[in-house]
Amino acid sequence: MSSRIPIVPENTEPLPRLRENEGMLSWVASVDHKQIGIMYLICCMVFFLIGGLEALLIRIQLAQPEFGFLSPEVYNQMFTMHGTTMIFFVVMPFLIGVGVYLVPLMIGARDMAFPRLNALSFWLFVFGGILIYYSFLTQSGAPDVGWFAYSPLSEKPFSLNKGPTYWALGLLATGIGSVASGLNNVVTILTMRTPGMTMRRLPLFVWMILVTSFLLIFVIPIITSAFAMMLLDRLLGATFFTPAHGGSAILWQHFFWGFGHPEVYILILPAFGIISEVIPVFSRKPIYGYEFVAGSTVAIGLLSLGVWVHHMFAVGLGDVTNLYFSFASMLIAIPTGVKVLNWVATMWGGKIIFATPMLFATAFIIEFVIGGLTGVAIASVPIDWVVTDSYFIVAHFHYALFGGSLFAIFAGVYYWFPKFTGRMMSETLGKWHFWLTVIGFNLTFFIQHFLGMMGMPRRTYTYHDFPYWGSMNLISTIGAIVLAVSVLVFVWNILQSLKRGEKAGGNPWNAWTLEWATTSPPAVHNFDLVPPVRGRRPLWDLAHPDMPDEPDAKVV
Amino acid sequence: MNILEFLTSTWTFEPWVLITAFLLLITYGAASGFRFTRKTALLTAGTALMVIAVVSPLDYLGRNYLFSAHMIQHILLLLIVPLLLLLGLPESAARKALAVKPLGSIMGILGNPVIAWSLGVGSMWVWHMPSLHDAVLRNETLYIAQQISFVFIGAIFWWPVFAPVKERRLEPLRSTLYLASACLGCTVLGILITFAGAGLYAAYLSPVDSAGILPYLRNDLCLTPGVDQQIGGLTMWVPGCLIYLTASMITIAEWYGSADSGGLTSAGARSGSRESGQNLQPAER
Repeated sequence: MSSRIPIVPENTEPLPRLRENEGMLSWVASVDHKQIGIMYLICCMVFFLIGGLEALLIRIQLAQPEFGFLSPEVYNQMFTMHGTTMIFFVVMPFLIGVGVYLVPLMIGARDMAFPRLNALSFWLFVFGGILIYYSFLTQSGAPDVGWFAYSPLSEKPFSLNKGPTYWALGLLATGIGSVASGLNNVVTILTMRTPGMTMRRLPLFVWMILVTSFLLIFVIPIITSAFAMMLLDRLLGATFFTPAHGGSAILWQHFFWGFGHPEVYILILPAFGIISEVIPVFSRKPIYGYEFVAGSTVAIGLLSLGVWVHHMFAVGLGDVTNLYFSFASMLIAIPTGVKVLNWVATMWGGKIIFATPMLFATAFIIEFVIGGLTGVAIASVPIDWVVTDSYFIVAHFHYALFGGSLFAIFAGVYYWFPKFTGRMMSETLGKWHFWLTVIGFNLTFFIQHFLGMMGMPRRTYTYHDFPYWGSMNLISTIGAIVLAVSVLVFVWNILQSLKRGEKAGGNPWNAWTLEWATTSPPAVHNFDLVPPVRGRRPLWDLAHPDMPDEPDAKVV
Repeated sequence: MNILEFLTSTWTFEPWVLITAFLLLITYGAASGFRFTRKTALLTAGTALMVIAVVSPLDYLGRNYLFSAHMIQHILLLLIVPLLLLLGLPESAARKALAVKPLGSIMGILGNPVIAWSLGVGSMWVWHMPSLHDAVLRNETLYIAQQISFVFIGAIFWWPVFAPVKERRLEPLRSTLYLASACLGCTVLGILITFAGAGLYAAYLSPVDSAGILPYLRNDLCLTPGVDQQIGGLTMWVPGCLIYLTASMITIAEWYGSADSGGLTSAGARSGSRESGQNLQPAER
């Protein structure tokens, strides 16, 4: 025997092992992508309820002119935390989380490429969120400088409270986690696909997660380094963003929007992915123009990196700069429009089944198109100068992020809940939830377009009693209360369905992607056997060997 | 001099440009048997654009008055002309040329994505160093060297994406990454030039008004040195990037149009034949 072989003594005692019945520890210590995914979803739900409550408080304060429900200081904290929570702790981690759960299943893998890194990402997100919310317990309260934290307001001379420091620290931690999950997704998708699952057969959801992950890797470091600079300014007396000492306040805006605009696409591309999975299944047709949906995603991803200056038209960078970016921003409408046309063409002539996921997906298309159209409008410099910092902008991005991302998230939850839990969600409660959401959402936000055109500024805690402003704001607040009820229905539906939902079986929607080929919920190792992949709809090919999608495809 | 006179009188028909273009077209025609195909059109367009970029008033403006005119010329010569020339090369002729020993191995080295990328992005950064740019404007020989290097380096940059010989190209997803990162490189330079104060390139601050159009540029078109430099920076930043983006869209479209041979194959897919014939396969790992 060669002496080079290291001699390891045999274990006399069995190694510590986690079993299923060890309760919380089996979750906290888990590196299983499904458990981590579920934990992402639960945490997002908690943050969603908190962020929603903050929104409700904002709307109650605005229900009447000169109302004194919240003090200006608390109002500032509320709208800052509402924006921060919804973007960084609800939509983004939900989409990352659902990706973590589904990507390995959809490509026929056992787990992510780096399971421990996956757990690290998740816990950085949780603790980042806790750190930010801890600021409520400090003497000076939560951050109150807006989710954009423009300098010099966020600099020490103007914000002596600790809030913005907690804000930057918490988001710094979360941001590192996001970059890690971006890397993890890219490596997983590129290296761990089952035989036959070529890049051109990837489910569109996975494809969009791939593009989103590249965006995460490229743009999160921009804001993370900006957070570090802000912390240096606030804690160590640096002057990156204070003009009085030779820094530049506009530099912060460039960093923030250089990240902030691609971030919008980080929030919407996986949502597009969910919609691209749901619509074909419930229209009983393959997606129309797979190549265009996938290719336009790459175009959106690349374009999104170079258009952030349209958030800064009012800064005064010069007409030439504004003109170039106005043009580039409008270009994004082309690949986005291509996608909308593809979804509509998929539904066209299909046997549409309006189950709750499909209802949300259909409403998504309509609401998102409204948000997209107002987006093209404000890409035009003169229009932007009129409506910037008004409720028109609030209406615009809520149509994109609530009517867009969140509607897709609801569609995704109803669609994959049977896979996550093994039980169906109640269709009756689902329809209640859907209609209350649609009515509440449009009631809240549509009227804000008009309020904005009439000049109502955003981010102010109250307004004078101008003609119609009071009644229009009251309508908006009533909408917000309807939305709150709809969220309660949603939570009730989840809790009820977890206990008494109908048993789902492996593939309740008769869908075609690989995650439906295993049990619900999937076993720890995901698959006993992965079906052969010979086309974009492996389960269709398996069920219909006589008419596969790609008749000439070779068996791998 | 009014502007019309300027536009008609500042064409500088340099003989070496015209002779090069003529020789290029004749050689190409002889090699391809004087048949007019899509590739011929691309190559002719590339040659024509190259001539226009070098002899038209654009060149005069860029050398004497406007940084933005220089930048348009720069983008044409570095990104558009070499792309058209490269796309115009017929595959069979390229294959023969590459079979010649030194040429094939030279392109093997220069066409390496890392080297090609560094040359392409590097030529933007190096030639736009203010001191070097001012030296180029003063020195005719250096200027000619710069123009030639643009076209050659441009061709090397596009080689890994659009080489006439298919097997020398990158896989489509890799070339998208190649182009996106190049776009990032030129974006950063564009940002620098756009947001730097006016006068980064001192020569354009107070040009010698040899053609007498300076009042027209400054007063009628409002092209102050600051605005001029911004237009230059933004031209590199936004339209420059759109060229890379369009190119990657073309490669992706070609990829989807071709037969599925795997693309970026996974480790599993490469070693995947062991389970063939069975209906169900064990999951990877």
